[in-house]
Amino acid sequence: MNDTDRLTIPIGPQHPALKEPIAFRLDVEGERVVESALRIGYVHRGLERIFQERNYVQNLHIVERVCGICSHAHTTAYCQAVEAILGVELPPRALYLRTLLCELERIHSHLLWLGVLAEHIGFTTIFMYTWRDREIALDVMEDLSGGRVAHGVNVIGGVRIDIDEEQIDSALARLGQLEELMDTFMDVIHHERTFEARTRDVGYLSPEQIHRYCVVGPVARASGVDVDLRRDAPYAAYDRVDFRVFTADEGDVWARTIVRARETVESVHICRQLLENLPDGERTTRVPRRVPSEEAVSRCEAPRGELLYYVRGDGSDRPARVKVRTPTLTTLITLPQQLQDINTADVPTVLAGVDLCIACADR
Amino acid sequence: MNALFSTLFAVVVFPGFGFLFLCALAFQWIDRKVIAQLQGRVGPPWYQPLADFIKLMVKEDLLPTSANPLICTFLPMVSLTAVLTAGLYVPVGDYTTNAFEGDLIVVLFLLSLPSLMYFLAGWLSVSVFSVVGGSRALLQYFAYEVPFLMALAGPAIISGSWSISYIVDYQSQTTWMVLIQPVGFLLAIVGLIGKLKRSPFDIPKAKSEIGAGPLTEFSGRKLALWHLSLHAKTVVGVFLLVDVFLGGSDGLAWWLTPPVFGAKALMILLILAVAGVLYARLRIDQLVSLGWRVLAPLALIQMLALIWMGV
Amino acid sequence: MRRLRSIAHLLPELIRTLLKKGITVRFPFEPLDLPASHRGKVVVDPDLCKGCGLCVRDCPAFALELERGEGGQFELIHYYDRCAYCGQCAESCRSGAIVLVSEMIAPVEGRDKLKVTIVEKE
Repeated sequence: MNDTDRLTIPIGPQHPALKEPIAFRLDVEGERVVESALRIGYVHRGLERIFQERNYVQNLHIVERVCGICSHAHTTAYCQAVEAILGVELPPRALYLRTLLCELERIHSHLLWLGVLAEHIGFTTIFMYTWRDREIALDVMEDLSGGRVAHGVNVIGGVRIDIDEEQIDSALARLGQLEELMDTFMDVIHHERTFEARTRDVGYLSPEQIHRYCVVGPVARASGVDVDLRRDAPYAAYDRVDFRVFTADEGDVWARTIVRARETVESVHICRQLLENLPDGERTTRVPRRVPSEEAVSRCEAPRGELLYYVRGDGSDRPARVKVRTPTLTTLITLPQQLQDINTADVPTVLAGVDLCIACADR
Repeated sequence: MNALFSTLFAVVVFPGFGFLFLCALAFQWIDRKVIAQLQGRVGPPWYQPLADFIKLMVKEDLLPTSANPLICTFLPMVSLTAVLTAGLYVPVGDYTTNAFEGDLIVVLFLLSLPSLMYFLAGWLSVSVFSVVGGSRALLQYFAYEVPFLMALAGPAIISGSWSISYIVDYQSQTTWMVLIQPVGFLLAIVGLIGKLKRSPFDIPKAKSEIGAGPLTEFSGRKLALWHLSLHAKTVVGVFLLVDVFLGGSDGLAWWLTPPVFGAKALMILLILAVAGVLYARLRIDQLVSLGWRVLAPLALIQMLALIWMGV
Repeated sequence: MRRLRSIAHLLPELIRTLLKKGITVRFPFEPLDLPASHRGKVVVDPDLCKGCGLCVRDCPAFALELERGEGGQFELIHYYDRCAYCGQCAESCRSGAIVLVSEMIAPVEGRDKLKVTIVEKE
């Protein structure tokens, strides 16, 4: 303690406020945070180096396990990059199934996040309710693909699963259930006074800060910056479905909650469109095992924002370089800014509001 | 000899340590089970609080090197002693050890000693989380204690005595205090939630912010005694509210008293559990603002109304 | 009325949850019904397996090993503890010999018991 009554509170690497290890050192005076320092790298597994030692098919499964919550987004981006190098066209059924899993994953990720935010502000009931309703989305994913979080749906050239009429009907019924249950959460976010009292005017980011730190995803949309890859640079089957992109103007944690909740409901609508209009056809095309010495960049809208993959082949069946840039990396940089001059009690709210996925960021 | 035996019985068995211990375990189980069912979960089996207590008693006991081990052992014992002594003077059913004029004030004083011990525990076990938690506990104490005391002074003013047994008798002759002063009852409930540091006022031990607050560095038997004192405080607080606002045992026959008293205590416990589940945790500045801007003026208005009605 | 409702906003939902049955499955005291597509144990049909080694080449966790002897003899060894249950072996196999059934592996004592020879052919 060098200053008069400054305390140094360590948050992490292990702390009840964190899902994954990351270290903050907060300098606190009374109840006000004066300075903060950030340290990452605790979950670094050296995956980009491992990708160079395995062939493309093995890499598919390792890419899936970069992150547990947005696993399908990672495999989609990876497969799209390799397919771009090989120059293959996917059959429409494969594109629809890929998009379906993308949206189901967005639902599960946003519900998980809402529960975690509620837990951090002390609202344990909403935590229990959102994770109970998230089970519906997980059950649909397990029914369609065989896995709850590690789906294993994408292969280079298409998808590995095929769904029949019975599965489509059961998925539609369960999604209808989920839509009704989302009404409770929308109601709580809009009208529950303690929730508003804890999340309003906390962790504000202005649009200029968004542009300066290149923030993407729901955090950017909550500050009024209208950017969404699904509409701006459509991939998979997003150019064939109708959906809205939501923004908010307040820029605080409450606005981020609104944006994510509305996105969840919109994802249910997208899934319904995809399931009802599923085209017939093949689920995959044959691709060669060896990838020529070319490079490709592919982008995908993960639940947390824009995910970028760069793949370069070298003529063999192993990639020469795979580079991953995850959306969490952009939001991490804004954290010292957001943690400036706030109440100590708001620190977990801010940390939860940006939806950190450290496993993604550290690779 | 007979007096010695009956005193010993009162202190050790009923309504002393044994009875309060069993009630603390039972109330804790009911609380956890009700909260779990409201959240859609299963909840623990009936022996869970006892198992937790035994587990903590046999665990290793560590303290940071810069904390004073003697004082840190002393604090939970003083806290538990204060709560159990307060329990002796709160009438259970229609039985009380020694009712005297002013025992309401003594009980309230004894029930606020654990809060002071809690703050000292945070301050003297020098880890960062404990210090922050301790200062929050003290801030919170000033926010809820004033409305709580004013709300509990209401029945005393109406019945004209500071003795809890007299207040219970007065209620059995007229009507329950909660019907005369519902606002006072609500304020007493809110004050009790703050006193027991339950959600939404569990700010000192906000898990996601500061670990376990003042008790972060305690483990083993000390932590077992802390938890026991907190749960015994729940029991004594609920019994106090039943006596002062809901008429205690209503002067009924001896075989009707346990079910009626138990039902009233259960009702207050249910109100506390539902209040814990309904809200998010408040920030300390929001709680202080709520306490002084809303609760204290309401309590003042209630007291003035009572004085005007009595006069 | 609106302000009154906002004091106990979640109360109707709480009562509704209390009246519904909880979703907890008391596994293992209650049976857990897994969907048919759940990826569990790796099962190889010994008649269809030709020992080509495509599954070994494509397994991301190195959980399959092929030991070739003389004269067309081979042994396919599977490590249950390394396996990630991803199903790539089932996808890579050209003979359709591998399938992942929706059964879970029972716990055993000792890691050596998790190394299992699933096909042995002459």
